[in-house]
Amino acid sequence: MDRINKADFTAGLLFILFGLCFGASALGLEMGTTLRMGPGYFPMVLAVVLTGLGLAISATAFRTGGEAVGTYAWRGMVFILGAPVFFGLTVRGLGFVPSLFLTTLIAALAGLKLKPLYAVGLAVAVTLFCTLVFSVALGLPFRRFGPWLPIMGG
Amino acid sequence: MALSLKIAALAAAAAFAASTAFAEGYPDRSITMVVPFSAGGPTDTVGRLIAEKMSADLGQQIIVENVGGAGGTLGAGQVAAAEADGYTILLHHIGMATSATLYRSLAYKPLEAFEYVGLVTEVPMTLVARKDFEPTDMASMVAYVKENADTITMANAGIGAASHLCGMLFMQAVEAPIVTVPYKGTGPAMTELLGGQIDIMCDQSTNTAEQIKGGTIKAYAVTSPARLDIFPDLPTVAEAGLPGMEVSIWHGIYTPKGTPAEANDRLSAALQKALADPEIVAKFAELGTAPSAAADATPAALKAKLEAEIARWKPVIETAGVYAD
Amino acid sequence: MDLLSNLGLGFATAASPENLLFCLIGVILGTLIGVLPGIGATATIAMLLPITFQLEPVSSLIMLAGIYYGAQYGGSTTAILINMPGESSSAVTAIDGYQMARKGKAGTALAVAALGSFFAGTVATLLVAIFAPPLTVIALKFGAAEYFSLMLLGLVSAIALAHGSILKALAMVVLGLLLGVVGTDIYTGTQRFTFGITAYADGLSFVALAVGVFGIAEILRNLEGEQDRTVLGTKLGALWPSRADLKAMIAPMLRGTALGSALGILPGGGAVLAAFASYTVEKRLSKTPEAFGKGAIAGVAGPESANNAGAQTSFIPLLTLGIPANPVMALMVGAMIIQGIVPGPNVATDQPALFWGIIASMWIGNLMLIVLNLPLIGLWVKLLKVPYHVLFPIIMAFCSIGVYSVNSNVYDLYAVAAFGLLGYVLLKLRCEPAPLLLGFVLGPLLEENLRRAMILGRGDPSVFLTRPISAGLLVLTLLVLVVVLLPSVNKKRAEVFSESD
Repeated sequence: MDRINKADFTAGLLFILFGLCFGASALGLEMGTTLRMGPGYFPMVLAVVLTGLGLAISATAFRTGGEAVGTYAWRGMVFILGAPVFFGLTVRGLGFVPSLFLTTLIAALAGLKLKPLYAVGLAVAVTLFCTLVFSVALGLPFRRFGPWLPIMGG
Repeated sequence: MALSLKIAALAAAAAFAASTAFAEGYPDRSITMVVPFSAGGPTDTVGRLIAEKMSADLGQQIIVENVGGAGGTLGAGQVAAAEADGYTILLHHIGMATSATLYRSLAYKPLEAFEYVGLVTEVPMTLVARKDFEPTDMASMVAYVKENADTITMANAGIGAASHLCGMLFMQAVEAPIVTVPYKGTGPAMTELLGGQIDIMCDQSTNTAEQIKGGTIKAYAVTSPARLDIFPDLPTVAEAGLPGMEVSIWHGIYTPKGTPAEANDRLSAALQKALADPEIVAKFAELGTAPSAAADATPAALKAKLEAEIARWKPVIETAGVYAD
Repeated sequence: MDLLSNLGLGFATAASPENLLFCLIGVILGTLIGVLPGIGATATIAMLLPITFQLEPVSSLIMLAGIYYGAQYGGSTTAILINMPGESSSAVTAIDGYQMARKGKAGTALAVAALGSFFAGTVATLLVAIFAPPLTVIALKFGAAEYFSLMLLGLVSAIALAHGSILKALAMVVLGLLLGVVGTDIYTGTQRFTFGITAYADGLSFVALAVGVFGIAEILRNLEGEQDRTVLGTKLGALWPSRADLKAMIAPMLRGTALGSALGILPGGGAVLAAFASYTVEKRLSKTPEAFGKGAIAGVAGPESANNAGAQTSFIPLLTLGIPANPVMALMVGAMIIQGIVPGPNVATDQPALFWGIIASMWIGNLMLIVLNLPLIGLWVKLLKVPYHVLFPIIMAFCSIGVYSVNSNVYDLYAVAAFGLLGYVLLKLRCEPAPLLLGFVLGPLLEENLRRAMILGRGDPSVFLTRPISAGLLVLTLLVLVVVLLPSVNKKRAEVFSESD
């Protein structure tokens, strides 16, 4: 047990950081008057309150004593967070089908338990299912194969 | 910025593709119609009605894709960057013209990024007030507004919305600085007007028709050049003494720059045919509007309209000093 | 009696074989799509709207309404099973529902949610039929000042959502409010905190935020140490609520229904607030408030009833005024217009068959849902047996599609990743996501109405006190604040001595 509650302390710092970032950004916005509040008025008030709360949370960290934060899922973060980003980058270019297949595969890589061959099988199944449901049955306006694949284009 | 880089890359790819992709027998696959507003909104409604009829004539399905956001500029930007092969088209309204001035950093140039297919419809607006608002006709209302300018409140649906444009014209016409209160869309604004929380607003006839008929709000004038069939008793703004206050939410269909003229002409022909369809006429009438005449549903007419409207709104917006970015 | 003949007409319309079929198709489609992770009612309706355009007006609206409740049921299911709320109201269900699932009581949680929803749906439908016009009058009395006070009340109640530190919960609310104001300022058109990205001009996507801070954060936590931990897939427990469970849910269900019916009428955030408010009330009234956040039945029954009642009564402003109370209702307006019906105060008199048909179909739809869903609970619970390392790639695929399909905006997908990271870090730091979500939903409304009230009140802050409804709400806010804070202050004192947890 640490003397300081690391989770609380870090959380406090994070809130202070957010408060300062929003506050600094709000400085560039007009404050206005009480009658006609500018776009910066409300965010500035909130940013100040958030910074204050952050300070208070950090302060309580010294009184409550520590608890372990535990390990971080680094591998998970890379692949799980990467999956929707990849989908966003490629859904228009590659088209719905190849993009979704690769997205599922990337997400599957986040775990260590799934054997590569099974992962590919899973991605194929998911892609097939989603294409049938969303593109064929529901008629969503997704391009199945995009312009980056010249042979299949159209 | 990353976005404009990406658009530039896409545009380059599109230009390359366009030179090879256009084939005889257009269209030989489905066409995507981008509607730059959410599904279910008034523009989406117009788009879906017209897409269905045009599909029938083209022999290929037109699929409506809603790409909403940032006053329609996101969807328009997407079409501007799309392949100019005739298979991506854009349905946009008056916002196409006003965005040229409202947005100072658009990723595309409204007058340079598109080819034209034709005008679809012009939806007129109505000047309305809460039902217990004192003045009985337009003339007394103008006088009343001038006298009580500092206590009268006028709603609009946000910067650059048609209701806002109409409001700016009204204020310039009556030469009185009324307190404007923006809402997120005309729905919430109408609620507050019904509840008497606010005094006056401009809104398209589509939204006000039923309320006016039901007597829940008071109407003063329509902003069209001629009276509307649904409200034969409601004067036009010109008749009511405010000439120059005509506003309509006109809709047009565009294609990306470089789309072959054959494709635009084919689309234009399909549009004219669709607009003459009795079912479209009937459905548009229920919306309080009418399809554009065949002479207006042409590339040349839309181009002229866009140019004229950009020129018309530029000084109005600049005088008011409001920008959306 | 008028009401009886009207309802008779409604049921005659809704019970035609054709309309029954469309109602059934609607609720099935809604449930199926809604049960896919990351896809809530709004996304579902946006996706399915086009296929209803070919139908008769009444059938089309009945089907859309069916999709709406169906998706809400489905959304609650994913909230309970995998902590993935598709919309703000089921975010509350996720708090205790997911904890129940982790304890092996997923079946009970699902059944409680279904029963609560059905009861609330029945009562609220009746309310819509009887009180639609008078209730509308109340909704119209709400101006900017009233909304501001109501939002404030909602925010104060968020404190009770926390089962940890109150300070952290407050900070999360404020952070949520700040995230909520990202986008174009409607008063001046100024872009705020968008980093110059036009795609965020209309604000950050709610679906992206909910999927990120709830669902993705939870997936990441489950990937820690990679040992398929937690109870998911291990023990399934009893499928059906016990007698004691049923007894425990009656009072919360009644209160939730009342709250939801009342708040659902208000355009804007009303229905959203209902679920949060119900949770607060239940936690406050409970003899065991410490059980909340750890799988309390009342924490599922109350909010689920509230959210379903609110969903029904949010049809009132639509049907009587033609004004949509939430994004889904806005889509319904679009559907009506495309069918050639312009929603407005005259729909009830001009189109009685349509008006009463929709109302009657609401109840029929709710009945169909419970008949469909109770047997399906076993199936849903079996999904938990799917190994987690197979489940999460599937979840990610659905989330990506669901988020993207709402507006075809790829930046919403990037926002999902960013919120997933934020949610995960905050989770590690023992900060709960629900208050953040409430702040996010209410942030824009709070600011909008504050500024509007000041403009309409000519800059005089006393408008909040001189308008009776607003003043009443503020007094209530103060009361809630006192009631919520007092015991926790006492508890803090107690903790100093006992040094527990």
